[in-house]
Amino acid sequence: MHEMGVASSVLDAIRKESEGYPGEKASRVGLRIGEFVAVDPDSLRFCFEAILRSSDLAPLVLEIEWCRAGAGRRGDELEIAYLEFEELGEIVEVPT
Amino acid sequence: MNRVVIEKSILSENNRIAAELREALTASGALALNFISSPGSGKTMLLEKTLELLPAHTRVAVLTGDIQTDNDAQRLMRYGYPVRQITTGGACHLDAAMVEKHLGTWLPRGLQLLLIENVGNLVCPTSYDLGEDAKVVILSVTEGEDKPLKYPGIFRKAELMILNKIDLLPYVPFRLELARENARRINPSLEIIETSCTNGAGLGQWMRWLEARAAKKAAATVAVATG
Repeated sequence: MHEMGVASSVLDAIRKESEGYPGEKASRVGLRIGEFVAVDPDSLRFCFEAILRSSDLAPLVLEIEWCRAGAGRRGDELEIAYLEFEELGEIVEVPT
Repeated sequence: MNRVVIEKSILSENNRIAAELREALTASGALALNFISSPGSGKTMLLEKTLELLPAHTRVAVLTGDIQTDNDAQRLMRYGYPVRQITTGGACHLDAAMVEKHLGTWLPRGLQLLLIENVGNLVCPTSYDLGEDAKVVILSVTEGEDKPLKYPGIFRKAELMILNKIDLLPYVPFRLELARENARRINPSLEIIETSCTNGAGLGQWMRWLEARAAKKAAATVAVATG
């Protein structure tokens, strides 16, 4: 249930970020998940794919970096590290 | 392809709402506490005892979260203070939007204390800021002493741990000192109070902590207001 809520928040955040990139579409998102936030990467991936399928953001590739505390990491990260955008192609009407 | 570095919390929208709530509560000088624990650790009974022991003139309100039923709100309403139930309908935690929606314009004028009882869960509620001043984690002696090690997130973020149901210590193999040690390994500055809501042990200490924390918040609010 937790991972489903997190996955849903990821999609909401991508939609919000995408507003700043008109004419482009998010194609890849990188998340940073710390060991202390108790989010299971496999469950998150499963939930993400499940809700992505019926969303306006599909297709979208998810990458997860799992962070142990130490070496500059707090271990409580629950962040979107990056987004990749691709230009939307021009819509061409096909004569019927 | 265009890669954009975001470096932003996944829960940034939740955090934005929580910051607004915190600002509103701070402006009124109210102390907000977020109570987090496993199901059955005694959150609701601790809140019942708290409402019972508060001075009668205290302006306090309670939000209580559960996946289903308003049983807890029914219990807490008996003390005559405003209480609202948040039924999450499946979600395993409260989030800031739920709190905002249920607070609305309902907050009593001059509120001094807002008690938020989260859904019983040691994991998910930890990640969601509700605009509170402090998280209070409750661990009962019917659970393992290693809970702080198994669920470090909440013990790391909490300001206070209440070790509850200590009246049951003669009947359960729970090593109090080990539980304290484990909690402090995760969070060395964690304050700890031992309580029993059945025989009243430690409740005086808890109420003094609450009074001191509320006074600290009120003083900070006055300091901000007067520049």
